Amino acid sequence: MKNKSLGIGIGITCFVLVLALTLQIRTMTIENSVVSQTFANDELKDSLLQWKEKYDKSVAQLEASNKELDIIRKSATTNASDAEQKNNELKVNNMLLGLTNVEGEGIVIELADGQNNSLVLDASNLLIHDGNLREIVNELANAGVEAIEINGQRIVNSTYIICAGNVILVNGEKISSPCVIKAIGQQERIVRSSRARGRNFATAKIK
Amino acid sequence: MMILTVIIGGVLGAIIGFLIPTIPYSASKYLAIAIVAALDSVFGGIASSIKKNFDLKVFISGFFVNAIIAMLLTYLGQRLNVDIYLAAIIVFVGRMFNNLGIIRRFYLNKVSEKLKKKHM
Repeated sequence: MKNKSLGIGIGITCFVLVLALTLQIRTMTIENSVVSQTFANDELKDSLLQWKEKYDKSVAQLEASNKELDIIRKSATTNASDAEQKNNELKVNNMLLGLTNVEGEGIVIELADGQNNSLVLDASNLLIHDGNLREIVNELANAGVEAIEINGQRIVNSTYIICAGNVILVNGEKISSPCVIKAIGQQERIVRSSRARGRNFATAKIK
Repeated sequence: MMILTVIIGGVLGAIIGFLIPTIPYSASKYLAIAIVAALDSVFGGIASSIKKNFDLKVFISGFFVNAIIAMLLTYLGQRLNVDIYLAAIIVFVGRMFNNLGIIRRFYLNKVSEKLKKKHM
């Protein structure tokens, strides 16, 4: 009898204890919380430390990235100066090739067909010929001019000056009297050069 | 008989504990302190049974009254804004360790006696 009541008593206490334990564990699981504040604090500290570590890593990464960026920036600026240099070279080359408009000191030569004159036997001598233009251009080039144009046609590497009937073709464009030749270069040098050679250029000047 | 009742009580408690709805979070504190008190009573019971002075009435009353008083103290502590439940936990857990020490010593003695007998 005593043994039986003992068993029942222990059973009841066991039942109550396990019931309470189960309930408590379930409640805590559902509430997603912890009984002790200390544990909560510890978890917070843990996560704080983790975040701090992450933050430190990020800061280090940021510093490394900044350094990299600096290097890239430096190389980019050197590239920029290179690019500027290239651009300048390109401009100069374009100018030399006659691909750009240029301005500066120079001379303007105006040619016109001669007036009908009974003294001249050959009327052809009164006209401007392609040869005349070529000669003048050559003279100017020898005198060291940097840019030449005839009636708006720039003299470039591929330029040709050729007679076509009663007109002259410059770069394929028809040109007739009067011809205006513009040359950019040192005026004195051009004049000196032409005079020294005693070319028709000089003759023209004398006229 | 005793082991059977312990197993039946445990299984029943677990099943019912899983079936009934959970208690509100604010009440979980009381239940937790009650559990600690109940565990203290259980270890006390085991220790007293080792000492051969186990009394069922004392055990059952201690089990429930301790739990209820612990809960009441916690409630009072909350009213007074003093964490009295901490004191209850210290007392209960301290006693638990005392009782565990008694239980440990008893079983250690038992094992060492058995070993001695074997060697003899």
